[in-house]
Amino acid sequence: MQLRRFFWTGLFLVALPYNVEAQQRPQQGATPDLRDVPVATRTYAITNARIVVAPGQEIPRGTVVLRNGLIEAVGPDVSVPTDAWVLEGDSLVVYAGFIDGLSHVGVPAPRRKENQEPARRRVENPGSPPPELAGLTPDRDVRTLLKADDPAIAKLRRIGFTMAHVVPRGRMLPGQGALIFLRGQTPEEMVYQGQVSLFAQLEPAQGVYPATDMAVLARFRQLYREATRRHQHATLYAANPQGLQPPAYDPVHAAFFPVLEGRLPVFFYVEEVLDIHRVLALHRQLNFPLRLAGLSGSFDALEQLKASNIPLFLTLDLPEAPRDTIRATQKLSDDSLAARHNTYLHVSSYQDVSAEIENLKARQAKERIKYYETAARMHAAGLRFGFSTRDADPDKILNNLRTMIKYGLPQEAALAALTIDAARLLGIDKAAGTIEAGKLANLVVTTGPLFEEKTRIRYVFVAGERFEIKEPARPSRRDEGEPMPARAEGTWSCTVDSPEGSIDTTLRITGQSGTLSSSAIPRELFLENLRLEADQLSFSVTTDTYGRVDARLTLRGDTAEGTIDVPGVGVLPIHCTRTSGPER
Amino acid sequence: MLRANLLACCLLLGLTCTVYAQQKGDLFIRNGTVLTVTNGTLPNTDILIRNGKIAAIGQHLEVPDGIEVIDATGLYVMPGIIDAHSHIAISNVNEATNPVTAEVSVGDVLNPYDIRIYRALAGGVTVSHVMHGSANVIGGQNETIKHRYGETDPDALRMEGAPRTIKFALGENPIRVHGRGHNVTPLSRMGVEFIIRDAFQKAQRYMEAWERYEQERKRNPRAVPPPYNERLEVLADILRGNILIHCHSYRADEILMLLRVLKDFGIRRVVFQHANEAFKVAPELAAFGAMVSVFADWWAYKFEVYYSTAYNAAILTRNGVITSINSDSPELNRHLYHEAAKAIKYGGLTEDEALALITINPARQLGIEDRVGSIEVGKDADLAIFSAHPLSIYAVCKKTIVDGIVRFDADRDPDDMRLRVDPERPVELAIRWGDHQHHQRCLEGVDLIAFLTQTLQSVQP
Repeated sequence: MQLRRFFWTGLFLVALPYNVEAQQRPQQGATPDLRDVPVATRTYAITNARIVVAPGQEIPRGTVVLRNGLIEAVGPDVSVPTDAWVLEGDSLVVYAGFIDGLSHVGVPAPRRKENQEPARRRVENPGSPPPELAGLTPDRDVRTLLKADDPAIAKLRRIGFTMAHVVPRGRMLPGQGALIFLRGQTPEEMVYQGQVSLFAQLEPAQGVYPATDMAVLARFRQLYREATRRHQHATLYAANPQGLQPPAYDPVHAAFFPVLEGRLPVFFYVEEVLDIHRVLALHRQLNFPLRLAGLSGSFDALEQLKASNIPLFLTLDLPEAPRDTIRATQKLSDDSLAARHNTYLHVSSYQDVSAEIENLKARQAKERIKYYETAARMHAAGLRFGFSTRDADPDKILNNLRTMIKYGLPQEAALAALTIDAARLLGIDKAAGTIEAGKLANLVVTTGPLFEEKTRIRYVFVAGERFEIKEPARPSRRDEGEPMPARAEGTWSCTVDSPEGSIDTTLRITGQSGTLSSSAIPRELFLENLRLEADQLSFSVTTDTYGRVDARLTLRGDTAEGTIDVPGVGVLPIHCTRTSGPER
Repeated sequence: MLRANLLACCLLLGLTCTVYAQQKGDLFIRNGTVLTVTNGTLPNTDILIRNGKIAAIGQHLEVPDGIEVIDATGLYVMPGIIDAHSHIAISNVNEATNPVTAEVSVGDVLNPYDIRIYRALAGGVTVSHVMHGSANVIGGQNETIKHRYGETDPDALRMEGAPRTIKFALGENPIRVHGRGHNVTPLSRMGVEFIIRDAFQKAQRYMEAWERYEQERKRNPRAVPPPYNERLEVLADILRGNILIHCHSYRADEILMLLRVLKDFGIRRVVFQHANEAFKVAPELAAFGAMVSVFADWWAYKFEVYYSTAYNAAILTRNGVITSINSDSPELNRHLYHEAAKAIKYGGLTEDEALALITINPARQLGIEDRVGSIEVGKDADLAIFSAHPLSIYAVCKKTIVDGIVRFDADRDPDDMRLRVDPERPVELAIRWGDHQHHQRCLEGVDLIAFLTQTLQSVQP
């Protein structure tokens, strides 16, 4: 037995520098389960690298030693331990691992149940629904909802994120957040710290109270003030129960007790500027420990944010030009588009539509630039902020950061927001956020300066665990020159990510026509305006509930991804896989 | 003046320029025909505005140095129009899930970006009473706003110091939404009365419980407070007279019903909204001291609104009831001066009486008559300047002034006056399916599909 284990370890060691996949957690089935086997080494040394210890603080040529998940030493003259796996970092740059201020990474959206809709309709009195239907589950702990196999974890990690503040999905009060590592085989391995936040958002319930933002705000006031009273009662009773009725227990109010004691902050996700004003007003009324995330559009509330002096986590999502603009302007930059805007335009006739449309597109480009500049303006206003990946596509995050920098955000401020400022605002700056001895071994190793377009991330270390980042596989060129034209025919099994969870949808396309059926709508709908241009498939359907729904998909072989625009709900991502056809 | 210019520039540029609440301007309006409403019509008169207030009214006033002058020669200056019933500039209208939702407030969801504020300004409207919808017997609290279009902080819209008001609704709407929609009381007009009495009784018990607690606390520091209830807090404030009721109603019988209920609970102030049959009970309304806000000539959009007359406003006025004409619509609010003129045609009101329907009377109904509603020294400089007498069908609103700041100017009115645009939505889709349907109306937020299948009847305010 001993011998055998030794053999495996030896093999492992030999294989290490060459075969990274082998070092990573082995896949079940394909290779033997090695979890019983001790890891070869948990000591790493990155030598002769440029080390960005903290924003603005660099070691031009130094070594970082990681041992047992922590940074053991960092500096220009650090000696490499004999048991270390060595990464020669001569051309590499080392940064502290990024920290996501708020997201649902590791908490996949629940699949929508077929019979959820009728259940909602059966509520006896929509004015006082059960807490779960009202979106009131503040007692739920996100640690019980984590899934180690959520593909979103690897997606965020490959762009440098090592830790995240994650919160449950839901409506008004979905539950309590936790700080997690973006690694681990089990939810338990992922958790760094639990019960770090009470998550809230202006997200009304559907068809039951609170069905509007104004009722969500009123409900929050009611819960908070009644929780204050219950807390007072509980405190009196704890001090001396004699002559007092025992306090009633309910999980919804009890979840506010740590907030009232100042031990737990409320993290509010605010999607747009009106939400910011509304939550800040609520904060002024109740004065609870508050953190804000999202903050898209905060360029219109900078003074108010500054006055409120609360930790902020700006979304890493940025608006994109609509397709019609991209097509019509041949990818003209937003700057040149915005320069065409005429604020004084007054068309002479309602028939002069094209002049007005062109001007509206230019106005819209101007508006997009405000979003690009938001981070810079927050920085200039002296606001301390981290970032939130919740609404951002991981594949676009690094590019969006470059856009923020192009529009005025200093690079050091961008790095600080990704690392030390996020750590500070989350209260973990003693443990993370910089490359200092004694801190968690969260590192990002790149081929050059982080925000340069040609820079690639080579390795990410999460609590001392090493992940090699490979370039995403390029779509393989076909041998016979011209790529096969995309074909839409066949049956596609699709998933729509809606605010309610995933909705299963099936597309059946034959020739020039097709149908759509979905768990969300009662009958099969015909596809209208079905069109395929190169690999771009577009169609619309007319639904009873939402009116005209437009869909656009990009086909890649037997998969397709895109969006559907549901009026009143929003633009929702859709992913499809072809399950049958086309005839080859 | 500089600040006023700056703001005008910002408006013109379509920029979201951050200007803060209580922004006040200085202006000099020269040589206009001034319709004071409370003090007759003054020809060739100047108005001096200092720090957002009317500082002087008279002929040949001295023009202070450096002040912006508007030449109103040949033009008519009237008090800014006040719309006593509106649903603009808010993100939600109805919390239609419960017959009583006194705890919600549309003031929590003001939307200063709403282009309808600017459109209202283009009709000379400077103040709107922004109301919760009529889905519930006791709906949410309303908000009185000033049309300070260009501000982006929702607080900047609030008319500071305006009394609190709340929406009640009688008749078919709450019965349809809750009774037929969810099989929840009220299923009849009797049920509507029950809901109100029940709510007030609960509020009385709630007040008693807290009073007992306050008494006991003096003797016993370990006293435990009774449960806190946001809804009953608001209802208790109605009983204390701190919140003014504005009640959606149509029929004479239900109007009398509410008067009886209010009398039983010692509530003295009420404004009936719509009240198409109010003319039948005008003496009773006058005796109670109730006020009424009506449409000029809009009816027959559902069963309870058939017995109506265009003489409603005039009959009420002649009976001594303080009466206003409202819009309840982001379209009608742009020509309320036409609506007021109809009361001259139907009922023979004087010009001042007709103008009062859209100025000083709605101000009284909102409890803001000491601030706005007429052109008097010391009042807020909320004014509308028209090309002709505003009761003439040929009148066009040229400029609208709020707190001494020109917020609408017909001569500087480019196509795109929005304060913000969606950065991602295709511009061709700016007008979308459903955007104009049941939007910003009394029944917004109600599940109309479920609702229409039950009634197969069109739904209006």
